Amino acid sequence: MAEKRRSGVVGTTTTTTMTSSSSSSVPPEAKASRSESDRLLLSQLGVGELLRGAILKMVEVRSDDPIGFLADHFCNLASVSSPPPPPETSGRTDPPPGSAFSNNVLVAFDLLSDAAPPPSPPGGVAPEGPTEDGGSGTAAVGPGASGSGVRGRLYTQTLRCLCGEGGVPAATSAPLVSRLRCRDHEAVPYDIFRQGVLTCAAFSDFIRQAQRLYAEVCCPAEGPASRALCGAVLGTLREALETSRGGGEARRPTDAGVGPGGPEANLKASHYLEASAKISPDKVAQVMARGAAAEGAGGEMDAKEFENAAAELFIARGGLGGLAMHGVLSGSVICYCV
Amino acid sequence: MGYLAETNVLFYLNDALIQLLEHREEYTQFGVTRYFAEYFSSVKNSNHVLFREYNYIKATPHNRASFIKVFWRCFRQIGRSGDVLSVAEYSSVLQLLCPDFPVELVQSTARIVLVDDTVDYLMSFADFLYAFQLQFYYQEFLASVLAIYQDLLYGKNPNTVIVPTSIAVEQLPLLATEENSTQELQEGVEASTLAECINGLCDRFKQSHPPRSCMLDVLQQSPKVSYYSFLMSLSKQDAVNAHIGAL
Repeated sequence: MAEKRRSGVVGTTTTTTMTSSSSSSVPPEAKASRSESDRLLLSQLGVGELLRGAILKMVEVRSDDPIGFLADHFCNLASVSSPPPPPETSGRTDPPPGSAFSNNVLVAFDLLSDAAPPPSPPGGVAPEGPTEDGGSGTAAVGPGASGSGVRGRLYTQTLRCLCGEGGVPAATSAPLVSRLRCRDHEAVPYDIFRQGVLTCAAFSDFIRQAQRLYAEVCCPAEGPASRALCGAVLGTLREALETSRGGGEARRPTDAGVGPGGPEANLKASHYLEASAKISPDKVAQVMARGAAAEGAGGEMDAKEFENAAAELFIARGGLGGLAMHGVLSGSVICYCV
Repeated sequence: MGYLAETNVLFYLNDALIQLLEHREEYTQFGVTRYFAEYFSSVKNSNHVLFREYNYIKATPHNRASFIKVFWRCFRQIGRSGDVLSVAEYSSVLQLLCPDFPVELVQSTARIVLVDDTVDYLMSFADFLYAFQLQFYYQEFLASVLAIYQDLLYGKNPNTVIVPTSIAVEQLPLLATEENSTQELQEGVEASTLAECINGLCDRFKQSHPPRSCMLDVLQQSPKVSYYSFLMSLSKQDAVNAHIGAL
């Protein structure tokens, strides 16, 4: 696209030989007509709303890299609005182009996947229940299934690394990893790999947000906060979680006519909005006021304990619900801190 | 609004819209969302300045750094092969990337490298590149420093210098083209006095300038300094290179 771009009148006083010469030689009525057609075109394309949404999000987040933020924002929007690819016989759905996270997950999966199918296990495949490795296992594919995947042990290590690199202590992430892990010898297909990676990435971010929430609400500089106050704040998280449960568990639309803007998606969005309202700054302030009144009763809760309690909420939801919880908390902490 | 102004986002949004309207048949066929995604991705990856007009590439610090990066990427082979080029040749090379890139700026760069007004001499790619980076990225600031330097040289009070933010740098008189002025520019001024003036300039200058500590360090190296020797030393500082972030 770069080579196609030529001069544009960008509001500078100095003109160049390459500047489009329309400004000096076009009669005023032609300029007005062109301006009107430009306005009409932009309106038809929905550019105003598109840019307004992008700017509002950018200002809300106040990223240190606003250009990068806009690039990712429009890439994600473009990937959502593009039609889904046809189903692959290998069982792996390639992500739409421009989705940075999905692209990275796909590359990681390809790198980690074995070229040859994994060796046969001593027993059959048991998708649920405790395994001999101590993990609860997930619905991984055993050997003999079509296509290769990532070895279970490598998959589990990847999840641990993701949590660790996200700043989550091993003890905090251990319960989540034990729920997501697979048996060492199992081959993990792409869908499960992606879901596990996404869950751990969201969990890491969720824990960081919970740490920020503790720091903002409970003023750790003055020492550990009161247990009653922390309990009250965690209670709002739990309440928001229960409210978002409907959004997190909304079934994926199976009707081909239901897309991102369909009734299922709207219901999901309304649950999230309602959940966000439960943890809005004024709600938290009310809860804190009640908690402050009961301050002193029940001792103190330090940051670590608060973090572990928040982690339990995420893990108890599991899967999509945990991701929904993460979305609720992220937006709310950002609003609160701003 | 302060956040939007600091980040130059409105500038890029404005340019994106202008480009969209000028090439609407081509850019709308895959949808406007895809268009904006590609536009901002190219800005993020510093690929957006290629073949654009000079006013665009100098419009923001990010554009300037991107142009320096693109120049290096496209022509680093010159450095590897050890070729030395003249001002006219470097100017032609730059105009391959930016058709209306001003030759005056290339001449100013040559003066830094050569500490002279003899712009016919040949320059290595590395020497030219780092001097060009300094001159192009901080051109407004350097113009102000030159004005201060000249005032000090002629015994005037440098506090009366007006920062030329509204004048295109290419329009400022290039006194080094005259022989006696060149000689005066090479004579030098008290480094400590120049350092004080630059310190004051940094406090009130609104656009980018080299790291203050780096400039003061350079000025501590000798009691007297000339304008071009100061710039030549500055162009070789790692801190300046890191501050621009292009190379």
